[in-house]
Amino acid sequence: MMAHVISLLAVEDPTQTHSWILPETAEIIYGGLATVIVVSALVKFAGPMIKKSFSARTEKIQKELDDAAAAKVTAESDAQNIRKALGDVAGERARILAEADAQASAVLAEGRTRMTAEIAELEAKAEAEISAARGRGSDELRNEISVLASRATPIVVAATLNDQIHKDLVENFISKVGAGR
Amino acid sequence: MSNAKVKAYAQALFAIAQAEGAADAISNELYAVARAYESSDELRNVLGDATIPSERRLQVVEQLIGTRANRATVQIVSMIVASGQVRELPAVFDEVIALSSAGNNQDLAEVRSAIALTDDQQTRLAAALSKATGKTVNLKVVVDPSVIGGLVATVGDKVIDDTVRTRLDNLKTRI
Repeated sequence: MMAHVISLLAVEDPTQTHSWILPETAEIIYGGLATVIVVSALVKFAGPMIKKSFSARTEKIQKELDDAAAAKVTAESDAQNIRKALGDVAGERARILAEADAQASAVLAEGRTRMTAEIAELEAKAEAEISAARGRGSDELRNEISVLASRATPIVVAATLNDQIHKDLVENFISKVGAGR
Repeated sequence: MSNAKVKAYAQALFAIAQAEGAADAISNELYAVARAYESSDELRNVLGDATIPSERRLQVVEQLIGTRANRATVQIVSMIVASGQVRELPAVFDEVIALSSAGNNQDLAEVRSAIALTDDQQTRLAAALSKATGKTVNLKVVVDPSVIGGLVATVGDKVIDDTVRTRLDNLKTRI
């Protein structure tokens, strides 16, 4: 058939047509047939591929949409968890601060009580020591005076004894002993 | 040294004094040496110091009484010092004078006075003590400034104390 077409074209002048706008009838017939064949081939062979390609693309897009939705849900869940965790952290912080405040207050109160007791005890002890020291000082002073007096008295007395007094003491002794003491 | 040993020493020394024929004089000198030993720290330290050679200590004895006392007295004191019994010297010599007094039928009367007594005072004091104790006494006067004033007499176990020191002590005790 191709040879026949070529022979027809060869016998006719390609520059001489029956219409300036329409092709030759055979050309229309053969051209139309060729177009039908090509389109049919395209529909038969390329159509499924294209359709499959579009389906895959659609599925991919749908999958991406689904993934995005799932990611959004996950992100929202995470965000909620984070918000919850933040809330928990704030609560924990407040609890710890409150607990620390309570402990500090308790320690402060206990320290104040202990310090008050210790100060009272120290004051009492100091008072007792002062009192004891006062008594001890008086006793020591009294003893010291007594010791000094007992040391000084013989010296003073000896210094006041002159020969006459010594003689009188001896004579007095002899008289008393001789009198049958 | 035990009391028995002191008496034994004293009896031996008194026998020597008697053998020398001057028991009373030697006893009196030994008594004087005993009092000098008691009253002098320096003498006690020198005679009692075992680190000083005995020859040196005997020289001290010789220098102190060699020319003033009976030869027998010097030898007795030297013997006590050389034997290392110098600490017992007062007790031994007191026992010697007690033996001497007993030999004369007397009791030793030791009188301590702050001042030296005159012969007259000693005579009258001996008579007074004899009257008070009913015994003849051999009076020995020791000058002892620590009594301050007055006298204290010891006759055997009897003590007659009328010293200023004792009066002050009694006053202190009462205060």
